Amino acid sequence: MTQRVVRLVEAPQGVPLRIIDLVGGPGVRRRLLNLGFHPGDLIERNSNALFGGPVLVKNLTTGTNVALGLGIAQKILVEIVDDQT
Amino acid sequence: MTKLDRPVIIFIGQPNSGKSTLFNAIAGYKAQTSNFPGTTVSHTHSEVYIEGKVLRIVDLPGTYSLNPVDPAERAALAHLFQEPPDLIVNVIDASLLGRSLELTLELLELERPLVVALNMVDLAEKKGVKIEISKLASLIGVPVVATVANRGRGIKELLHLCLDCLEKGGCRPVAPRWAADVEKYIQSLVKSLPPNFCGLANPRFTAIKLIEAGDTFCHEILEEISPELKIRVEEVRRQLEALRSMPAYEVLAAERHHLALKLFEKASKVERGRRVSFEEKLDSLLMHPFIGYPILIFIFALFFFLIFIIGNPLEQLLLKPWSWLNFWIHHQPGPPVLKAILDGLSQGVGAGLAIVFPYFLPLLLLMSFLEDLGYLARAGFLLDALMHRIGLHGKSVAPFILGFGCNVPAIMGTRILESSRDRLLTSLLIPFIPCSARTAVILAIVAFFLGPWWALGYYLFHFIIVAFVGRLLASFFKEPSPGLILEIPSLKIPSIKTILTKVLWQLRSFIQFAWPVLIAGSLGLSCLQLIGLDHWINQIFKPLVKDVLGLPANLGVTLMFGFLRKELSLLMMLQALGIDYLSLPQTMTRTDLVVFTAFVSLFIPCLSTVVIIWKEISWRAALLSILLNLTTATLIGSLLRLLL
Ligand SMILES: Nc1nc2c(ncn2[C@@H]2O[C@H](COP(=O)(O)OP(=O)(O)OP(=O)(O)O)[C@@H](O)[C@H]2O)c(=O)[nH]1
Ligand SMILES: [Mg+2]
Repeated sequence: MTQRVVRLVEAPQGVPLRIIDLVGGPGVRRRLLNLGFHPGDLIERNSNALFGGPVLVKNLTTGTNVALGLGIAQKILVEIVDDQT
Repeated sequence: MTKLDRPVIIFIGQPNSGKSTLFNAIAGYKAQTSNFPGTTVSHTHSEVYIEGKVLRIVDLPGTYSLNPVDPAERAALAHLFQEPPDLIVNVIDASLLGRSLELTLELLELERPLVVALNMVDLAEKKGVKIEISKLASLIGVPVVATVANRGRGIKELLHLCLDCLEKGGCRPVAPRWAADVEKYIQSLVKSLPPNFCGLANPRFTAIKLIEAGDTFCHEILEEISPELKIRVEEVRRQLEALRSMPAYEVLAAERHHLALKLFEKASKVERGRRVSFEEKLDSLLMHPFIGYPILIFIFALFFFLIFIIGNPLEQLLLKPWSWLNFWIHHQPGPPVLKAILDGLSQGVGAGLAIVFPYFLPLLLLMSFLEDLGYLARAGFLLDALMHRIGLHGKSVAPFILGFGCNVPAIMGTRILESSRDRLLTSLLIPFIPCSARTAVILAIVAFFLGPWWALGYYLFHFIIVAFVGRLLASFFKEPSPGLILEIPSLKIPSIKTILTKVLWQLRSFIQFAWPVLIAGSLGLSCLQLIGLDHWINQIFKPLVKDVLGLPANLGVTLMFGFLRKELSLLMMLQALGIDYLSLPQTMTRTDLVVFTAFVSLFIPCLSTVVIIWKEISWRAALLSILLNLTTATLIGSLLRLLL
């Protein structure tokens, strides 16, 4: 199993990622928790809008789709989950 | 407590779960619905008669949890706590069951009568999620009904169940317990609550909210009422933090999250490897990083030209009888008072019917289609980067787009923004967006006389102004915008019935509220002209109208009415100049027309917009908005005069 912790903005697209930590202020953390993004959840990063636009993230655990601004996506730490395991 | 002969039932649920659709299915179309999380920002009440009983039902804004982070959510919770309802209906989006149950668990903690409406089961099935209703009900300990609100399925069963709960006084759940180590600390805080502490719902719930709500829940007053309790709360928070090495509120959120996922797993089966649906394919195109943008532009252009293509012939058709009528009135003998009144009436009625209606109707239809499809959130996603340039982010796109309908709900719609800075900035920019009434008149006049390209250019020109003013305003705000966090709801192909019902409702409110103002305005102008007062008003406005903008001085009087509703100024242009619609080009040059339209559509937010800014933000903001619009309009007006 490979383990590498990166920021969500730097993570590859279309592979399962596990949320390790949310490092924003309490306002941002609460909003993310409310939307069903918790540490430990599996997410997938989809497309990116142009011109430094937001990242589209799908929560594989709960099925939610959320658009996160780049500033927010900076604050989410994820690890890449190996598909084989 | 409310009297049980007219019990109160409130609809609570996460945003976009279909609460308003469910409410409308019961009470008739009263609450705005659309496929965007955060459509409803305040409550709607209705009384309904079911099986010989009167029920008072309340539709509320969506809330992700009972720990609010924006004013819309706070409004929902105020209803839950300030006037406790007799029954809570928790509306759930079945296709997002795992997440939605987190709010349900919080509602169970209240231990108040609760019924779950498992809505959108059609979408869940499409996604391959099969939910065992009876199992879910027995797991959470309250009744569950499957519904498809937009097709009216399950409504009867739901109401029946509600009545049953109310009559028998049942449906009271028991709060689910968490992991023993966490629960231990909660219970220790429950024991520390003073015996007559003015808590919420029940002691355990109060303790939980004291721990997790942070500054949002009576934290400041706690210091005064009970300093010892405050110390205890902080102690328990530290204990929880030490236990799981994360902030205390996250410990509790994680408990609910795990419980919700466990419930979800037990109550449902997820079928894997199903085909990608049409909606998902379409969605990947709409949100595509490259193709998404041409599509956005295409949709905008199509939107515009469709309105024109439908509106233009309709306008021509309706204009004729109206000009005949005017002609006939002018050539009748009779006392001038009667003639003035008749003239005013026919101008007002005709303007609504022949000028506003032909463009308003297709605009509403198309808007409604895009809203119900779920395009608002997609536009927010695509335009986020652009919005950053003017100091905002993608979530403000939705209020902006709503602004094309009407500025008033758009400004109320800023309640979905988390930061007060974003709310102020967005509310100040919304009045620069041409609302449907303005658009209808702009299309009717600019496009009718100068051609659709002028009107399109005119539209784009508004965007430039929004961008420019936004940029300018943003430079006054030091703190940056917190950034975009926006749920993208699944794409839903709307049914024709849904669209038509909504459009009819909007048309009705136009006929009820806007049209009478148009008619009253025209009547008012007729009376002013009759007694010659218009002359004086024109004199007052002359420096602005004639000297700065270079327009006929007669138009001054229309500005006064434009404050009521902007389109009034344009519609009254003819009446003020004393000419017929079709002979307008002989009196006003092309430049005159463009300058006047630009000035009028910018010069001041209409009365209702000013009032709503005042109410939602502050009187200072309202004043600032007026000044901002006046300055911009004068600058742009004189600039256009020089350039064209
Ligand atoms: N397929 C399907 N669509 C539904 C159902 N119920 C509602 N909708 C659609 O879902 C969208 C959201 O419905 P609303 O009633 O506005 O949701 P809401 O819960 O009031 O949303 P907020 O006010 O934003 O919290 C609308 O486009 C509805 O037409 C359903 O059972 N099935
Ligand atoms: Mg609603």
